[in-house]
Amino acid sequence: MKMKKVLAFGLSAAMVFSLAACSGGGNGEPQATASQPAGTQSSQAQPPAQGDTAGAAQEITLWTYPIGNWGKEDAVKALTDAFKADTGISVQVEYLAYADGDDKVNSAITANDAPDLIMEGPERLVANWGASGYMVDLSDMLTDQDRAEIQQSVLTACTAPDGAVYEYPLVMTAHCMAVNLDAFKAAGADQYLDLETHTWTTEDFINAVQALYAHYGETVGAVYCAGQGGDQGTRALVNNLYGGTFTNAEHTQYTWDDPLNIKALEQLKGMEGIAFDASLAGGDEITKFYQGVLKMAFCWNIAQQLDPNTAGTGAEKTITGEQIAFMGFPSESGEPALQGGIWGFGIFDNGDPARVEAAKTFINYMANSEHTVDAVKTANYFPVRSAAGGADLSTIWADNEIMDEYQVLMPYLGDYYQVTSGWAQARTSWWNMLQKVGEGADIASTVASYAAEANAAAK
Amino acid sequence: MCPFPVHSGEGAPPYSENSMIREGCSGLAKQNQPAMGRALQRRENINGYLFMLPSLVFFVGFVIIPMFICIFNSLTDANMRDSAVHFIGLNNFVNLWQDKTFLEALKNTFIIVVVSVPTVCAFSLWVASAIYKLKGPVLSTFRCIFYLPVVTGSVAVTVVWKWMYDNYTGIFNAVLKGAGLIDKNINFLGDSRFALWCIILILFTTSVGQPIVLYVSALGNVDQSLVEASRVDGATGLQVFWRIKWPQMMPTTLYILVITTINSFQCFALIQLLTQGGSGTNTVMYYIYYTAFKLTEQSGHFGYANAMGVMLAVFIAILSAVQFRLAKEK
Amino acid sequence: MKTISGQNKAYKVLSIVILVVLAILFLFPLYWIVTGAFKPATDIYATKPVWTPSEWVSTNFENLFNRRSAPLFEIFGLQGPTVPAAFRWLINTVFMAVVAMILTCITAAMAGYALAKKRFRGRAILFGLIVCAMALPKQVILIPLLREMSDLHLYDTLWAVIFPTVGWPFGVFLMKQFSESIPGEILEAARVDGSSELRTFATIVVPMIKPGIGALAIFTFINSWNDYFMQLIMLSSGSNFTISLGIATLQAETTIDMGMLMAGAALAAIPIIVVFLVFQKYFTQGITMGAVKG
Repeated sequence: MKMKKVLAFGLSAAMVFSLAACSGGGNGEPQATASQPAGTQSSQAQPPAQGDTAGAAQEITLWTYPIGNWGKEDAVKALTDAFKADTGISVQVEYLAYADGDDKVNSAITANDAPDLIMEGPERLVANWGASGYMVDLSDMLTDQDRAEIQQSVLTACTAPDGAVYEYPLVMTAHCMAVNLDAFKAAGADQYLDLETHTWTTEDFINAVQALYAHYGETVGAVYCAGQGGDQGTRALVNNLYGGTFTNAEHTQYTWDDPLNIKALEQLKGMEGIAFDASLAGGDEITKFYQGVLKMAFCWNIAQQLDPNTAGTGAEKTITGEQIAFMGFPSESGEPALQGGIWGFGIFDNGDPARVEAAKTFINYMANSEHTVDAVKTANYFPVRSAAGGADLSTIWADNEIMDEYQVLMPYLGDYYQVTSGWAQARTSWWNMLQKVGEGADIASTVASYAAEANAAAK
Repeated sequence: MCPFPVHSGEGAPPYSENSMIREGCSGLAKQNQPAMGRALQRRENINGYLFMLPSLVFFVGFVIIPMFICIFNSLTDANMRDSAVHFIGLNNFVNLWQDKTFLEALKNTFIIVVVSVPTVCAFSLWVASAIYKLKGPVLSTFRCIFYLPVVTGSVAVTVVWKWMYDNYTGIFNAVLKGAGLIDKNINFLGDSRFALWCIILILFTTSVGQPIVLYVSALGNVDQSLVEASRVDGATGLQVFWRIKWPQMMPTTLYILVITTINSFQCFALIQLLTQGGSGTNTVMYYIYYTAFKLTEQSGHFGYANAMGVMLAVFIAILSAVQFRLAKEK
Repeated sequence: MKTISGQNKAYKVLSIVILVVLAILFLFPLYWIVTGAFKPATDIYATKPVWTPSEWVSTNFENLFNRRSAPLFEIFGLQGPTVPAAFRWLINTVFMAVVAMILTCITAAMAGYALAKKRFRGRAILFGLIVCAMALPKQVILIPLLREMSDLHLYDTLWAVIFPTVGWPFGVFLMKQFSESIPGEILEAARVDGSSELRTFATIVVPMIKPGIGALAIFTFINSWNDYFMQLIMLSSGSNFTISLGIATLQAETTIDMGMLMAGAALAAIPIIVVFLVFQKYFTQGITMGAVKG
């Protein structure tokens, strides 16, 4: 009698637990777990009105880094809504930040719950997750015509050494720097800027910083190094000053320990007005620039120029309305070698062909159809291909003066070396090295040891 | 206030691990006493486990099993890139001792613990002794204020401190500069001379709340007759404190030491949100996360990360044991 | 009472002054959050800190709310209306903290009672295990836990955060300490009267350890509200975030709008502070008892 009651109690406790577990599954998001058959997924998510969709899943997930307005919910929602209206596939979007986005993707991979689609650049999709075998080879999506339309260098960057294409590219840009023109004028430093060509020489740069520091007496530009975020700016700055390189031309070795880079670092370290700041990452630097604290930003590109700090308070203006001018990085010849940025889509292999199929439908829709214009414009960057789905893409920004003006920098696009093996380690070593240099460690030996660390990973 | 008598063991503080285990053992001994009939024992077994069952499901499922997997994994090269797992013995541990980053993280972790634990204790003891005699509402106001950073939550606290520490527009720099104490802004979080101390300061404000509450009540529970007696004997306030009050508060102190130690070891959100382990603020807890999930060439080295976890657990165990030992000897 | 010497009096005054200064310093971050949340952009971006908002505005909250949206709830495939994600985050957080609290209290009270009053075989070993596990930081086991949650299909659900919290043995330990003081005679009398085990537990044991349960409830609630690390690892979809995780994610994004962040921090902090102030008395009691007992 008593025993029964106790047993009943035990059972009910067990039930509470299992009930909790069950509703956990139900309450959860449409789970992207590979083991779940696509059929049940779609029947749950959607009324069967869409007709025969045996081939593709009805719901997929996309994780995107903040690539222009691809980081803004309302802009992306307009695109995915249009996509859903056309194809019946709904897209669940998550927005990643550069500061911790990689960690989130990695923990999702660990939990076997990676998103179907991811939007980022080849340095992550190809050199990392692709190389680790988590991505789907997209080479079958590229027809000869696609290959002809997409810029060769971009396609090369998106292709792994074994020929697999892990990223379907959408947009590209040249990373540059920016100056607060009003502040430059106030300090009489605008004489060093060539606003026609948007380039300047190393000497101009040094003189300008001197003039700014003389006028403001505070840090005017920061070599930020709190993390890897935005490190393309610091790399380009250091490389350009005296013509150093980051990797060799074959992308097999890191060469940033060359004396020209060391000279550049020594120069920067010695400049009053330039601070190595380990409390800022690229994004923070832009904020400080936008705030008018810093007079120049090294983490800049056209998307920033169009919508500084993505604050939506007007193109080319700081928060206080001061004029922002974009500039190439200073170099001895005045002709910079700019870092390219390439962004596109990759598909995580979740073991479910239906989901991969749906993801491919999405990529084709966004990057290879008449809708590509919208997808590109949302990113605030330049298209990687001349035409898509029969629509000419070469003039889509013709009506935009700022975009048009920015074209002057595009010829300076330099080597896309971000696919060198060991890249993730190289980035880590780079910002750690900058921190050490900033703290006054001996530059030559610090640079040598961190470059060696990166090279060890490149082997 | 407290309806239950303070449970005090003989000699040992009531919550010494040893005494607890001993107590458990004595229970074990009791159950073998002949007085307990077989049927009775069976009933106790069944009832006991049925009552334990709901808790055990969670405890075993989400603590014990992962703990064993963790220990097992620490002996393997489990990682994200290769699904095959190889047993590599103690290699991970050997490598840890040669990993400069780990050693630095370990050093920082110990600095945090060694600095924050005594200061938290001393500070909260001082605050408690300064406020425990105040009138009710005043006392509880102070108690509340010092407890607020704990309830505010680590993320909200971190976000606001990050702003206050800001190198260019932070309020600390503005105040220090305004007061003429510095000419150039201090890069609090970007300078390895300051960053760790800044983090310890935040940790400190979020740690003193509970100890203060505990000390206030401990001071209130001190045997007043002894205090009066020593006063009559002409003892000064300080003497009364050290000779009478302090020994009586030893169990409380011990408890505070242990929880503060564990808390300090766990310091993660501050590091992750403020410095990402840069500027000489890496800690073991953050490095575990970093090794497991950051996109580096070593990313997803779970075996290695688990080895760090095991190491950390061992250190905490040793430190707790030492604290008990010291407290006992006193 | 003996006469208080002048020196003593001076010390008292001095200590009060120091206390007040400290109290202000401790309150300041909260003040900065709340004022920051209501400052206009010009104050936020001003290069010199602005001590009080030049104007109290709600734009920061609007920015926060417009930034991300999520369905208000999702239960068994049923979706609520789309609302600012921050509301969903708050709902998630409350749900998570309340469920963790209830489950912990029930399981811990039962287990604590059994450990204290039932002389079952293996009790000593079990208790030893519980004590050892208590000192271990939860984060140490996070990777196996993540894998486990993925196998159970609980990854990216709030249960993945709730269950490890419930499994944490502190509650059991606390409840055991409380249950020790229940006189065995009362339990024996109940048994003789034919009361079932469960009834004895519900009608006799629970009322006697009620203060302990209250303390544990508050502890669990606050701890799980603030358990950022677990949330960070276990949750990946924006609509499953907790408020802490949501704010941390906003902070990580490249644009750093301090006003919006402060609005988020205020949203995360104010509810729990209110809970704390309302239950303040029980709270301090709970902590004290936890220590005295624990």
